[in-house]
Amino acid sequence: MSWRHLLAVARKETYHILRDRSTFILVLLTPTLLLLLMAYALTVDIEHVPFAVLDHDRSSISRSFVQGIAAGKDLDLYGYVDSLEEIEALLVRGEIKAALVMAPDFSRRLLSLEGMPLQIIIDGTEPESGAFAVDHVGWRAEQFLRDQLSAQLQAMGIPLDTLQPVDLRVRAWFNPGLEPRVDLIPGLISMVLGFPALSVALALAHEREHGTLEQLMATPIGRAELLLGKMAPYILVGMANVIFMPVLARAWFDVPFHGNFALFFLLSIFFLFAVLSMGVIIGVFMRTQAAALALSLLLIFFPGFFLTGIFFPIAAMPEVMRLETLGLPGTHYAIITRGMFLTGVGLEILWPYAVMLIILGMAFTGVAALFFRKRLA
Amino acid sequence: MEIPDPIIRCQGLGRRFGKAWAVEGLDLEIRRGELFGLVGPDGAGKTTTLRLFAGLLSISEGEAWIAGYDLSRQAEAAKRKVGYMAQEFSLYGELSVMENLRFFAAIFDVDPQEVELRAADLLAFAGLEGFEGRRAVHLSGGMKKKLALACTLIHEPEVLLLDEPTTGVDPVSRREFWEILGDLNLRGTTIVVSTPYMDEADRCMRVGLMYEGRMIICDTPEALRRRLPGDLLELRPEDWRAARRTLAGMQGVLEVQTYGEALHLVVDDAGVRMPEIQARLEEEGVGIRSLRQTPPRMEEAFISLIRQMDTQKAD
Amino acid sequence: MRSALRRIASLAIKEFIHLRRDWWLPAFMLLGGAIELVLVGWATSRPMTNLPLMVLDGDRSAASRAFVVDLGNTGTFRAPEWVDDQAEIEAALLRGEINAAVILPRGFAEQVRSASGRPVVAVLLNGAESLPATAARRAIEGVARSWGDRIAVERVGLDSQQLESFFPSLRVWFNESLSEALYTTPAELGLMLEFTVLIFAALSISRERELGTLEQLLVMPFSSLEIIIGKAIPAMLIGFTDFLLMLGMVNMVFGVPLRGSLALLLILALGYVLVELSKGLAISVFARSQHQAFLLVMMVGMADFMFTGYAVPVETMPLILQKAANLVPAHHWLAILRGILLKASGIDVLWPHAAALVGLGLVIGGASLRYVRRALN
Repeated sequence: MSWRHLLAVARKETYHILRDRSTFILVLLTPTLLLLLMAYALTVDIEHVPFAVLDHDRSSISRSFVQGIAAGKDLDLYGYVDSLEEIEALLVRGEIKAALVMAPDFSRRLLSLEGMPLQIIIDGTEPESGAFAVDHVGWRAEQFLRDQLSAQLQAMGIPLDTLQPVDLRVRAWFNPGLEPRVDLIPGLISMVLGFPALSVALALAHEREHGTLEQLMATPIGRAELLLGKMAPYILVGMANVIFMPVLARAWFDVPFHGNFALFFLLSIFFLFAVLSMGVIIGVFMRTQAAALALSLLLIFFPGFFLTGIFFPIAAMPEVMRLETLGLPGTHYAIITRGMFLTGVGLEILWPYAVMLIILGMAFTGVAALFFRKRLA
Repeated sequence: MEIPDPIIRCQGLGRRFGKAWAVEGLDLEIRRGELFGLVGPDGAGKTTTLRLFAGLLSISEGEAWIAGYDLSRQAEAAKRKVGYMAQEFSLYGELSVMENLRFFAAIFDVDPQEVELRAADLLAFAGLEGFEGRRAVHLSGGMKKKLALACTLIHEPEVLLLDEPTTGVDPVSRREFWEILGDLNLRGTTIVVSTPYMDEADRCMRVGLMYEGRMIICDTPEALRRRLPGDLLELRPEDWRAARRTLAGMQGVLEVQTYGEALHLVVDDAGVRMPEIQARLEEEGVGIRSLRQTPPRMEEAFISLIRQMDTQKAD
Repeated sequence: MRSALRRIASLAIKEFIHLRRDWWLPAFMLLGGAIELVLVGWATSRPMTNLPLMVLDGDRSAASRAFVVDLGNTGTFRAPEWVDDQAEIEAALLRGEINAAVILPRGFAEQVRSASGRPVVAVLLNGAESLPATAARRAIEGVARSWGDRIAVERVGLDSQQLESFFPSLRVWFNESLSEALYTTPAELGLMLEFTVLIFAALSISRERELGTLEQLLVMPFSSLEIIIGKAIPAMLIGFTDFLLMLGMVNMVFGVPLRGSLALLLILALGYVLVELSKGLAISVFARSQHQAFLLVMMVGMADFMFTGYAVPVETMPLILQKAANLVPAHHWLAILRGILLKASGIDVLWPHAAALVGLGLVIGGASLRYVRRALN
């Protein structure tokens, strides 16, 4: 392979992109904008979950119970209702996500230590808010119970923690509060950094659609040289984003970067190489931009979103899918990114993933070069 | 490798797309230093032929050699010796004139020491001096074509293949372009150029007429002009439609071709028919502004030839 | 009027002819989208399961083993890896090989047996993957809680039924099995439909503009409105067919039910497709090339993503976002989709969303028409 050829194509492609100002800005900024949009969408805290109360007891105890639950901004009291039908109607309309039903003997049984007849109803179509409501009501109920019963239990000589004898000590490494934000942001970063792959697929298909490849095909340029040269400007764009992302993560999202940045930079280049060559394969096979776009969305973007273990752990996927995810550069890069942001690990742990990225990059480029004919037909 | 003569040779060359043959049974020999013109109507197969020679299309049948390379096996190697200019030559609009030239120089492995010198030469040759820094997209149509030509010359190819290089270019630039081609040819470059313009075909050493994928005829321009079966008269009537009606089918009038406001009449014998035509038109009351014999040009020869092919096909 | 209809029909027919030549494009989108939905849904709709777990049993008693068996029965973990010292756990956490580790110290069984002992269960979670870590934590907490209940019952002499009465009972509506698929797949369907329609619409005009064939259309006796409608018809048909296909997929493959009226769903789907089409049209006006159109679509699509309630229901977001959500067609569409599929909602409940769709469609459509006219002329 001739370095002179490669550099010439890379230079031409870079000028080409740089000088198309509006497109260049879009290409450069899209990863960051996508990151902001998606991060915000996925890390929005659940708050003021609206709930209704069907209180058959209507005592001061039941009312103070409800007040305790509605205190703070986690759960919002929508109002009191008089029947289950009303609850159903409100759930159907989406105006409440949960409801509490208290039996007529709620306070009586509570005071006589017989129990706390409380039912929580949740909207099963939104498990997240449902689980959230259950967690909070459960926790508040527990607290309420303790407050109400503490005196009595003490008098009876029963230690309070009898009700919870197991001493569960939980520690979460790397992310003590188990905040989704902390690992989601690095995961999203790894995903949006692969976005230029779609642009490179489009760029190649653009040349085919407009017939501008014909002239180049009549020259002695090598196939690999042409394809790699096409990737060049997008690698540069990617690298610019790689430098910017950790800064953004720290400044905007308060997610610090613990690893060695030079290593991250190097591994990111491997990733860019691998993911861009996926885009190149698509560009090689598709003759119109629309087709290249459709295919790259289907094969690069959506899998990169759903299947790279960023939101859904790969361990939980069916076996067949787990194998497939190995073929996605994003899977390995997500691990690298998360690792370097959260745990600061180095090459001694990450080397298998780095190797996979290199292998994938070479394999994809090889396939692309193999199938790319310097012929019109 | 020694550059052979003929520099382009093909036998029974054919290329098909699906079921249709774009080029069929092509036998051609182009000698070193020739300026060869390829003409024919749209869809005749000119572009396909040039693309085959440039190694851009694989051969469906037959054989072809260019500059000593067998195109069915050594197409890639051949590209080093060939300069090809596509009909839709894509210059890189975002790049400047010099950047375009340097790009192609790099691709063709031109010795780095030579690049600047050759580029300067070519720019002067093409009349593009002073425009080195101008972005290609900001050049006029004619200048774009000249730049494209310069880019195909940077590696000093043995053969130039140009696909309708002057289409869409103003007449002045066209003429300048052909002067450049002429100079190049004088210096020894073999040039194969396809063109829809008959006056350009006239400037070539030999012209090949293609029609529906086949080479109908291939000869010098004079020989082709003489192919016209008869003499050519130019008639400027007052009412050309009436004149055409009157003269079509008249004995001795082999063809009537419209030419703007004039009619070109192909007759078997000018001396005999001229007075006859005058008489007939007067009879019908069609006024005549002028009637004279004129030397036949390629245009008429071709139109006539193609009409013959059409009638043959119809039979 | 009739001649206008005839012109539109001729345009639409021309578009179909184009499509037939590039038939693979809509085929891609239809089939590809549907297959993608299935794959993604399959990979992501399973509850957290098969998570790697390490166990350090310092007690090696029947009790500790029983505890681990219960952990396995939660279905959240795969068969645990037994280790002998904490260092192994820490290394595994660093390498990201496990999601959780449970450590049962020596004396576990004794503490369980004794009258006032507090058996300790130490848990280390891999916070680098917060979502599975949270699921793991919940599962372990569940086991700890049930063990605590059992122990408390034995010690205090309460029977288990009495103890249970102290804990709120849970009732889940609309999604009794709390299947994740019912929640995520409608959202994924909505997202893919939006992207499909947007891209198709935005590309169709940008493509013609880029290739220069748009100018030809303009010199013919078509008004710009007719051109747009003519182009919209095939796009709409494709979008609608896509919807039907995906609906069938989620129903058959994931068991997402259709509890409401199919007719209503189809009508509203048509309306939604139209709204997204006009959005795509508006984008194609601003974009100067197909590449730009695509990038803009991605950003708009992602901005909308948040409002489909994929991660978090819109009603539980900060107030500003809730207001903003009303301007996003996808938000109303997802509410309609979920409502009809899962809650058997009728037009009486859904009319605000339907009205919003109509309103947004008129505004977006009207504005983009005006801009398109200007852009075309």
